[in-house]
Amino acid sequence: MSNEARFRQNVQDYLEGRATPEQVLQMNQELRSDLDSRRAFREMLNLDSALMEATKEMMHETAEVTAELSEESAPQVQFEPTPEKVSASSPDGGNNHHWVSLLFLIAASLMILAGSLVWFAKSPEFAIVEYAAGAQSLSTGMTIGTESHFIQAGTVQLVTTRGTRIAIEAPALFSFESAQRLQLKHGRLAADVPQEAHGFTVITPTGQAIDLGTKFGVDMPEAGEAEIHVFEGEVVAQSTDGGNLSNLRNSQAFRLQSAAGTPSSFRSGAFIQPGEVDSLSAALQAGQPKRSQWALQELRDDPQLIALFDFETEQKQPGKYRCVQGRWPGSQAAEFVNVGDHMKLDVGGERLWPQLTLAAWVRLDHLGEPYHSLLHTDGWDDTKKGQVHWMVTRLTTMRLALRDNKLAPSDRPNEGFPDSQTSVLPEQGRWVHLATVYDSDKKTVRFYFNGKFDSESKLSQAHPARLGPAQIGNWNTLDRTLSGRIDEMLILGRAMSDAEMEHLFAAGNPYR
Amino acid sequence: MWRASNMLMSKTSRNARFVREFACHEEAIRAYVRRLAPSRSDADDILQEVAMVLWEKFDEFQEEGNFRSWAFGFARYKVLSWLRDHGRRRLVLDSDVVALIADESNEEDRHLEQQRHAFRSCFAKLPSDQRSLLANAYHPDMKIQEVAATSGRTTAGFYQWLYRMRQMLLECVQRQLASEANL
Repeated sequence: MSNEARFRQNVQDYLEGRATPEQVLQMNQELRSDLDSRRAFREMLNLDSALMEATKEMMHETAEVTAELSEESAPQVQFEPTPEKVSASSPDGGNNHHWVSLLFLIAASLMILAGSLVWFAKSPEFAIVEYAAGAQSLSTGMTIGTESHFIQAGTVQLVTTRGTRIAIEAPALFSFESAQRLQLKHGRLAADVPQEAHGFTVITPTGQAIDLGTKFGVDMPEAGEAEIHVFEGEVVAQSTDGGNLSNLRNSQAFRLQSAAGTPSSFRSGAFIQPGEVDSLSAALQAGQPKRSQWALQELRDDPQLIALFDFETEQKQPGKYRCVQGRWPGSQAAEFVNVGDHMKLDVGGERLWPQLTLAAWVRLDHLGEPYHSLLHTDGWDDTKKGQVHWMVTRLTTMRLALRDNKLAPSDRPNEGFPDSQTSVLPEQGRWVHLATVYDSDKKTVRFYFNGKFDSESKLSQAHPARLGPAQIGNWNTLDRTLSGRIDEMLILGRAMSDAEMEHLFAAGNPYR
Repeated sequence: MWRASNMLMSKTSRNARFVREFACHEEAIRAYVRRLAPSRSDADDILQEVAMVLWEKFDEFQEEGNFRSWAFGFARYKVLSWLRDHGRRRLVLDSDVVALIADESNEEDRHLEQQRHAFRSCFAKLPSDQRSLLANAYHPDMKIQEVAATSGRTTAGFYQWLYRMRQMLLECVQRQLASEANL
């Protein structure tokens, strides 16, 4: 036996408590004098510790499943202490996890003795698919164990055996290590963690998020760093490279970069939440994508159509934005996240448009300062009367401003521009259909939310609309990033009626 | 009355802070102790003592400090004093060797953590019957002879299987980290 092989055998025997005095003597000498032996020793013992953890968790999961299966024989164990209970406990509160593990082991061993080893041979089940909206490889009712899953399109909602609800949006690659540990290689998820599942952890290539009682989201792009967003409660974020822990609370976000992390802007609407997936799924089953396609085809045949961006074509519009999933499984939308993100377009030419309809499916992340551009023609030039700026204001209303137009005197408080009456706030974090209809002859601006007429602003001076070079999601003069996604953007050279608008919304609605 | 409720508040928040820190670093502290302790059950006992000391001393821990290295310091001390107390009756490594391993462990903590991280996916890839057998072998209340018998092996054969599995998992971990480094 070579020296190296003998050393390995000694370490393995030592691990099992079988080493003889002679072997320990040899190990002492070798470890004292040789750096590489010490490294090999540390790595093997480190692995032993990891094996201890993993097998303990396995016992834990199996004990739970068995406890559920045979209620009468299962000891009633409080699985995880709640933070309140822990924080109010006696000074050995830190050992709580330990005692809980110990109780599990006792429970598990009792059951082993009573029921042989049969259930270890069964592959573990950590979660069940509650809804699968357009995800081909997963279907409702399917159970999930340790295998990896790739979803290319759609959204799935899972419930773990501990009751954590997780919505995962494609494209995503993930696998469970246990019901409490989910590896997310890439993709986006939102988790709603009940008290029983505190400590639920999402592990990404650049760091992990440990729940302390929350609703939170993790965005892991295929290349880049994971972002943790806390909707409610508290989460601990930790970079893989051992960076410091960061405690995140309500409406905070954090980017897990190598070694350290940095605060990031909060984007609630970037995540499809548990609870949203069922209505997305119902709409798919009702055949909504087909209806939407027909409605788009009708619009493409409209002689007054100026532009219709559905982001499905292979040729990407110029600009700086991400391509993410749209309203339908596998469809595309543009996502604007960082300051300066935008999409360029140049439509409508030099022509003046007495009537104009603008409509878009939008998913807003956060609102407030500054303005959020839906469509802004470049500049704000007094020689270009009628140039169009369509946005969500810092007061969260919708606005359609045309250069040199004037609002008729009215009782409604406003900032001198035609603004919607309703705020887009309640729809934040879901897909919403925003639209406005401009008529320079009638001197009116009409606003629509989700196909429903909201309000009309009257003008005393109304120029025909002027388009040309413009940006979707920003303005070329000052930052007006729209934080969120835009799916379809319609620019039509005529005024749509209320009935048409209702039809447009109903045909394209991704929810049921 | 005001003071009493204020004190209660601060005690509760101290508890919460401790639990949070300890929960986040428990795995690393446990692994650190395991690298120095002679057996898995000794490591469990020592960890209990370490947790107790950390709890008692938590007021001395600086809010902005590094909890993990703070905890490692106590763990090192606890293991060495445990070896001193139990070493005469037990077959253990010499204290100077353990101290060497402890000090180098500190420097390599990040790398060892990455190894444990990579281990997770290596372990998850094992067929479920092998995972179950490992779980039984690592179960503190199971006799290795019985586990060996359920697997249809002799005890000596089962130990060799166990050694091969650990070696294979370690190689998987090293391979995985090497391939990630080349990305």
